[in-house]
Amino acid sequence: MNGVPEGDGDRLVCGAAYDDLVAQVADRRAPESPAAHPHLAGCVHCAAALAELQTLWAPVHDLAREPVRAPADVLTSVMARVRELPRQSWYAVVPGERGETRIAARVVAAVARLAAEEVPAVMLALGRGRTGAGMTAEQVAGRPGRPATEVGVAGTHVVVDVQVAVALGSRLESVADRVRTQIARRVAEHTGLTTQAVNVVVADVTDPR
Amino acid sequence: MSPTPSHAESSNGHESGWQAVLLAAARAGDEGAFEVLVRAHQERAYGVALRLTDGPQDAQDVLQESLVQAWTALPGFRGEAGFGTWLVRIVINRCHNQRRSWRATQPLPEDATLPAAPGAEAVVVGQQHRDAVARAIATLPFDQRAALVLHTFDGCTHAETARILGTSEGAAKVRVHRARRALTERLREWG
Repeated sequence: MNGVPEGDGDRLVCGAAYDDLVAQVADRRAPESPAAHPHLAGCVHCAAALAELQTLWAPVHDLAREPVRAPADVLTSVMARVRELPRQSWYAVVPGERGETRIAARVVAAVARLAAEEVPAVMLALGRGRTGAGMTAEQVAGRPGRPATEVGVAGTHVVVDVQVAVALGSRLESVADRVRTQIARRVAEHTGLTTQAVNVVVADVTDPR
Repeated sequence: MSPTPSHAESSNGHESGWQAVLLAAARAGDEGAFEVLVRAHQERAYGVALRLTDGPQDAQDVLQESLVQAWTALPGFRGEAGFGTWLVRIVINRCHNQRRSWRATQPLPEDATLPAAPGAEAVVVGQQHRDAVARAIATLPFDQRAALVLHTFDGCTHAETARILGTSEGAAKVRVHRARRALTERLREWG
């Protein structure tokens, strides 16, 4: 189809701005109403240019509509690299008869998050474990930039900070109490650590519907 | 229960509600929060990378490097834009740099910078038609291509396109406009 508009390149012979027609088709805007643009409604030049543009742009719109999914291994690969980087890296240590068990901070955080989300009114949760009182900053986290293997030891007691989004209509204080109980139980079950305190921040409320 | 956030960014680009909580936690070093943010925004970032690189493998490489860069840069991110917008900006910069370094190390003969125009019969149906469009977009200058991808493929307004590209709204409009005209001409030549 030879639809090159006749005119000076910016305007059709009828005087209509070609760019306006390109924008209308590219943006998939509904045709202008005849009342607002009486010229477009009756102009054969504009009709021909619009028809050609719609044919040219149809595969562009098809491509834009194609669902795009990031490859599944992107997340795995990125998180593996992130965990190798030296940030927030302390370990709790649980002594045993045949050696000690080190539990990474992110494990405590993940257990706390999942435990909080077991409480029915909790829609979303985000946990963070840290060491109990009496530890110096150096013992807890090591110096910034140190690789994870050189961080200090955190002992067997942890403090958990958890942020939750709670379903609208719940009594916040009782939800927070259930979150504390559940986190302490799960942290003990899964890690053997003692939860010294659970600080709950209700950071958002969501509509359960 | 899935920790999927209820929404992405508000209209002014700032995070609100749970997204803001996640962002603050990730900035403080919480890997789990960062993972939730990545899950929420990786499809959009990959979609942009896919249209600004030479194929899925390059797009995946760009996305992975961009996400690691985002993690390391998070402590300095002040949240002036939403996380998704910020991530797309990182992706676009990486795509741009990748093209520059590729061109610097592998100079091509002048006539090879544009892919050969497929014959009329080659673009008649389905996959070939789609590939022809993808190639046509790939021949646009990078600044036009980025503006077109954000506006037409990512659904950004001119203002959002401008914010991501670090330019004025007027300049973004001009780039989108030029890209559309150039793409229309190319599709017409090839069709």
